[in-house]
Amino acid sequence: MRNALIRFQNMDRRWIFLGMALSIMIPLLYPINFPFKVDQRVQAIYDRIEELEAGDTVFISADFDPASRPELEPFYRANLHHLFAKDVKIVMGSLWPYAPPMVRPWLDNIAKEHGKVEGEDYAFLGFKAGNELAIKLFADDLVKAFPSDASGKKTAELPVMKGFRSLKDFGLIISVSAGFPGTKEYVLQVQGQYGLEIASATTAVSAPDYVPYYKSKQLFGLSGGMPGSAQYEKLVFADYRDDPGLSKAKEMAGPAQSVLNMGHLFIVLLIVCGNVAFFLTRTPKED
Amino acid sequence: MKRTIPLIVGFIIGVVMIGEFFIPHYRYRAMTAEFLEWGLILGAGAFILGLVNLVQVNLPKVQRRETDWQYKAAMLVALVITLIVGFAAGESRQADGQTFKWIYDYAFTPLNATMFALLAFYIASAAFRAFRARNMEATVLLAAAILVMIARVPIGESIPVIGDYLPQFMNWIMDVPNTAARRAIFIGAALGAIATGLRVILGMERSHLGGGES
Repeated sequence: MRNALIRFQNMDRRWIFLGMALSIMIPLLYPINFPFKVDQRVQAIYDRIEELEAGDTVFISADFDPASRPELEPFYRANLHHLFAKDVKIVMGSLWPYAPPMVRPWLDNIAKEHGKVEGEDYAFLGFKAGNELAIKLFADDLVKAFPSDASGKKTAELPVMKGFRSLKDFGLIISVSAGFPGTKEYVLQVQGQYGLEIASATTAVSAPDYVPYYKSKQLFGLSGGMPGSAQYEKLVFADYRDDPGLSKAKEMAGPAQSVLNMGHLFIVLLIVCGNVAFFLTRTPKED
Repeated sequence: MKRTIPLIVGFIIGVVMIGEFFIPHYRYRAMTAEFLEWGLILGAGAFILGLVNLVQVNLPKVQRRETDWQYKAAMLVALVITLIVGFAAGESRQADGQTFKWIYDYAFTPLNATMFALLAFYIASAAFRAFRARNMEATVLLAAAILVMIARVPIGESIPVIGDYLPQFMNWIMDVPNTAARRAIFIGAALGAIATGLRVILGMERSHLGGGES
């Protein structure tokens, strides 16, 4: 028995890989969904956007890559649907070079579904190098940072930019961030100095880093990882399901949570079994 | 002279940029915006430096057939192809049907996502081997990790009796011990950054100028 437990603790890691693969694949094929509640941090994002009025404009910083797509794409899409359904205008930029080829087609398609016109109802400014320096310049002079949008039109002449020169002119800033540069740099560089209202949708691994900023009200809302995206999606789809712009849209993160359920359960099971085996085989010297 | 001029430039720019926090006049802001724009241009120039560095480091290794030279060769070939395709397509490179977009959608995206997805497997393996309740501190960490992992997913909320309390307890862990520890780290790091920044502005820290002397 003792030998078997020792062997279990030193098992070939390929067995763990196989178990993890099954934990992911089985719920993908046979999803089992459990009900879930909406966290107050996610609710705060939804509520603040609900307060916006038709014609208001928000700035979205799309700072993520294909690696973080499963966690952030559902939030990004639901957020665009939410804003367009409320006839809120969107100006978007990115600090990540990998983001534009991915996020721009989504923006264009969702805008089209809501009957929005590029340049009038939304603008995609593209990527800007420079990390924190770029954020500082966005806050001082967005038009200087992006003299033209991603389509080559002069930013200052876009109807959607009328009356908007810098970040502080926007009522709201939403940072969809998978790391550096992203939410943290927006908070450190410009939030306090300009008194900006910023919400963050971030990966599960980054969310604990940003909780202090939420607690100190430097972020008014925080959506962490796929669970956060699923909760935000749930709110948007509950209230805007009948909006014609959402007729083709479907929830992405909600159904995917069954994979998270099994994945987390598998890891917890491994840890618990590993510790039971450890205690049963522990020699007095190790105590 | 080679060091004095950069030190003077660093001092002037540093002092001007700090002044931005205290002088909200639009003319001053226009000046700092100009400096920031110079910074952005330098930042964009760093991409070219990165490109040159990548070739300088990897090409000789391929030529000398060093260990894993095949991977480096594949990287350089991919680099050259992407660069040529991107330049050739110009402004329309991200449009549907362009080869650059095809490379992004069917090579970069799956590779990037795969690298990140592998973490799930390695984390599972590492958690099984390393997470042992060997002492009090490790036991507290272990208990917190298990609680957060279960409470983060819907199945945690569905556990009879304790399901309702798990998210509340997880939020307490995030809001109190996590926030306290991270604030301590943030404040410590910020104080360090301020000290380093002041040393650079005042010319006391010179290692960034090269030459090995600090």
